[in-house]
Amino acid sequence: MEFVIENWGFISKGLLMTLKLALVILLFTTLISVVLGTLATLQSRPLRWLIHAYVELFRSIPLIVNVFFIFFGAPLLGVDLSPFAAVTLGLTLWGSANGIEIVRGGLLSVARHQWKSAWALGLRTWHIYVYIIVPQSLKAILPAYTGLLTLLVQATSLGALVGVGEFLKVGQIIVERSTMMGGENPAFTVYSVVLLIYFVICSALTWFSRYLERRLGRTSTRLSQPLP
Amino acid sequence: MSFDFDYLLVQWPALLDGLWMTLQVSALSIVLSLLIGVLGAGIRLFKLPLMSQLVALYVELIRNTPILVQLFFIFYGLPAVGLKLSLYWSGVLCLSLWAGAYQIENLRGGLATIDKGLCEASMALNLQSRQFFRLIAIPIAFRISLPAMLNTAISLLKNSAYLQTIGLAELTFVAVDRIATDFRAIEMFAAICVIYLALVAVLALLAGRLEARLQRPFQL
Repeated sequence: MEFVIENWGFISKGLLMTLKLALVILLFTTLISVVLGTLATLQSRPLRWLIHAYVELFRSIPLIVNVFFIFFGAPLLGVDLSPFAAVTLGLTLWGSANGIEIVRGGLLSVARHQWKSAWALGLRTWHIYVYIIVPQSLKAILPAYTGLLTLLVQATSLGALVGVGEFLKVGQIIVERSTMMGGENPAFTVYSVVLLIYFVICSALTWFSRYLERRLGRTSTRLSQPLP
Repeated sequence: MSFDFDYLLVQWPALLDGLWMTLQVSALSIVLSLLIGVLGAGIRLFKLPLMSQLVALYVELIRNTPILVQLFFIFYGLPAVGLKLSLYWSGVLCLSLWAGAYQIENLRGGLATIDKGLCEASMALNLQSRQFFRLIAIPIAFRISLPAMLNTAISLLKNSAYLQTIGLAELTFVAVDRIATDFRAIEMFAAICVIYLALVAVLALLAGRLEARLQRPFQL
């Protein structure tokens, strides 16, 4: 355990980087998910197909391949991406593919007659969304979206592979450093602690997701939770 | 730099070797994860004391930690306390444990939909509890769990790409390895993306077929 105490400053820096990554990705993911998820519920067929293709593409490619493609491929196309930017872009593409499905499913979970009643009352489309559709769809969206956030936090560990100094990378560096200095191999302790801290963060989020589900009442349509 | 198809033709045999390794590891892990799933769901269903809590903890632990950290723990952490596994078996262990936790939940979800009334009805018909499980509960629960179970299997196949990080020569490893010498990143990644997409599409198609086949008795 002395590894943890000795390196606490270093570890907390890594944790901060993980949280920063997760927040930036969450922000972009939410933006894209809301816009494209809403567009995907509209009538336009080409638009729906395009969004569907985007969703299927990024849900089918392994996340690690996605991140590597961007990180190693971008310089060859003349774009210089920092490791942080590459991971953010890669995880945002994947996260929003999942987020779009959640938003779309949530909006479609609101019964059709709610739309018809609102039209009958002469509400504008904008008002129908703000006062009727969105509040009801949030019941389905929020628990699933919190689940997605858990996966996003987990996925930031991919940053370690391209050189972002996030939590897992810090763990790797601590192991390498003490192995080089001789003495016993601390890999077991260090990775146990890394697992434990991720577990605490993600369990809290999972608990929050379940709490939301209970609090908001179970909707008839349970949105499928994305898999990593 | 233009897209070089000839390069891919030259590298094709290496990619095929990687693909073969990916398929092998995934297939073995899918089978093992199903075993874990059935065992774990059984333990949870019959509420075996202590075992049941341990299984619940295992599921939470796997689902709330990154698979990459689990892999590093198995491959770098366990040897430090004297448990050394080969590359291949570390990979299989990691993928099986990961997917096993999800399979337990998938199966439990299916079993949770079995109505109490069914149990009472079968008791009224004088079925033994073993007959109830074999003839009624399991066939129904299995059909309900199946889509989620197949999804987990597909995810496992995708996640086998993580084994690149410990150096198992699967598809992604081969691609990254070649890129390190030839710098043909765009071609290589485009190629493996197409391969993964095709694999997932084929599996999803087969999964859809299987689901439709199992739904047949319920169609009028």
